[in-house]
Amino acid sequence: MTPLEILSAAIAGRPAPRIPVFCNLLDQGAWEMGVSQEEYYASGEMVAQGQLRMRGYYGHDNVWSLFYVGKEVEFLGCNKILFTEGGAPNVADFVIKSYDDIARLEVPDDITAHPAWTEIGTCLRILKQEVGATHPICAYITASTTLPALLMGMDKWMELLLTGPADIRDELLRKCSIFCQKQIAAYRAAGANVLIYSTPFGSTSFVGMKRFMNFSLPWMQKDLAAGGTAGIVYYCGMAPFNTVIRPVMSELGIGAYYISPMADLAEAKAIIGTKGLTCGVIDDIKMIRWTPEETRAEVKRICELGKQGGHFLFGTGIMPQALSDQNIKAMLKAAFDYGRLE
Amino acid sequence: MLDAIIKAYNEAVFETDKDAAFEVVAQALAAGMTPEDIVFNVVIPAVEEMMSHITKDPDANLAQHFMTAQIASAVTEKMLEKFQHPPETIGQLVIGTAFGDLHSLGKRIVIGCLKAMMVNVIDLGVNVPAERFVDEAIKHNAQVIGISAMMVHSAIGEEGCRKVRRILRERGLEDRFRIVVGGAPYRFDEQLYKVVGADGWAADAVNGAKVIVDMIREVKAL
Repeated sequence: MTPLEILSAAIAGRPAPRIPVFCNLLDQGAWEMGVSQEEYYASGEMVAQGQLRMRGYYGHDNVWSLFYVGKEVEFLGCNKILFTEGGAPNVADFVIKSYDDIARLEVPDDITAHPAWTEIGTCLRILKQEVGATHPICAYITASTTLPALLMGMDKWMELLLTGPADIRDELLRKCSIFCQKQIAAYRAAGANVLIYSTPFGSTSFVGMKRFMNFSLPWMQKDLAAGGTAGIVYYCGMAPFNTVIRPVMSELGIGAYYISPMADLAEAKAIIGTKGLTCGVIDDIKMIRWTPEETRAEVKRICELGKQGGHFLFGTGIMPQALSDQNIKAMLKAAFDYGRLE
Repeated sequence: MLDAIIKAYNEAVFETDKDAAFEVVAQALAAGMTPEDIVFNVVIPAVEEMMSHITKDPDANLAQHFMTAQIASAVTEKMLEKFQHPPETIGQLVIGTAFGDLHSLGKRIVIGCLKAMMVNVIDLGVNVPAERFVDEAIKHNAQVIGISAMMVHSAIGEEGCRKVRRILRERGLEDRFRIVVGGAPYRFDEQLYKVVGADGWAADAVNGAKVIVDMIREVKAL
């Protein structure tokens, strides 16, 4: 079976030789290609080749069309990114500096015609051509309730959300939701089939249950209503969200859940059961200082907790650049070993 | 009366309702409480209550942390204008986000809580070079250097806390300052603060304020 077929089998609960094994290698691509981050992320071809080379070297199932978190705000006017060689890029200039900027914020009609799409489109075209028939292609979609943090900074967004004028807040969210819907459609059309829907405000670690039900959930419904939930993976930026799995399932109909390493995986699996795909995620920050043996033991624990009854995927977090090659290999070998189903 | 005011104020903070908190304060002033009473017997205990709540309650959330700090800081600022005598500060903190990192939310929550707790805070902003943390700590006679890092590379990289520690060691300043770190990477690995050479950390920004106050007292007692 191809990795894409193995993923489909895991989602549907059909027999497969093993669980799907995802590994989120992003910034390491610049090393792989022997260029600076800034050069790497300036070229869709480079990002695609980096993804293909890393997948070929490590053997995991997925490739990514994500450049870096923050790339999406380039569609909305951001033109300053801070690149650092040791880690992920940062948004260095916020598009929204005052509430007046919210009224001026424009969502492009056709985001695939925007210059910011050019390299993403190139990357996806290459990935689709090279591995689209056999491997899952991941895209990163920022939820409407989270996108403002990239547009104005997290603290200013919290201030507007919790104490600011409701009409201005809603105008911003409406624009962000439209952009989110356009992104989902564009990535799907270009060949991405696993859409990581990043929605930290969909976790009760960010807002209380009352605000989740009255604020986060309705906006998530708007984000997903037009395009549906095919291929959507619920992800809260590594924050735990077991408390909301039931309402997300019933109200949004999402079928895959990327469980935080800080959450109780057994509890999540018990809630999701055979109704969806549980993704067990390793703590790859702790893994920086683990030995390969410790890494292997943790992968074993995750796989044994999750794979019973199927409907399970092994995945990683943000895979920091500080992780050793030896540890990444140990993790993936263990995931293939302990993820065997036959 | 005090119990009823504390209860009403705590409820407003827990519900992240800033207007309701100010309404309670206005009622307390009208009922004859002094601004000093409000800060020391209502606001600071409410911050401490939230610290305890966050530790015990898995449902405590970021919105509560943020509003606890915002409300505490705003009420304290208003009350300080009305104090009979300027209050004595506990000590000094210099705080910033590590080099290569532009996140500021955690730092803002810590600062809000510490202002209410009578700590003199010098905010160095974001993307702060290690040398500047040390230079500003010396300049302001701080007891504690606070380093926020939301990204793995800024938390563990050579330009962040590790370098601040190295500079302190090279300049013979390790007895004079404590380093406290905070941010998401430290939550995923509770031993990480030791790896990067910090003296303390907290899992959330509200409790970070408590760790900092304890460290200020520790340094002042030397």
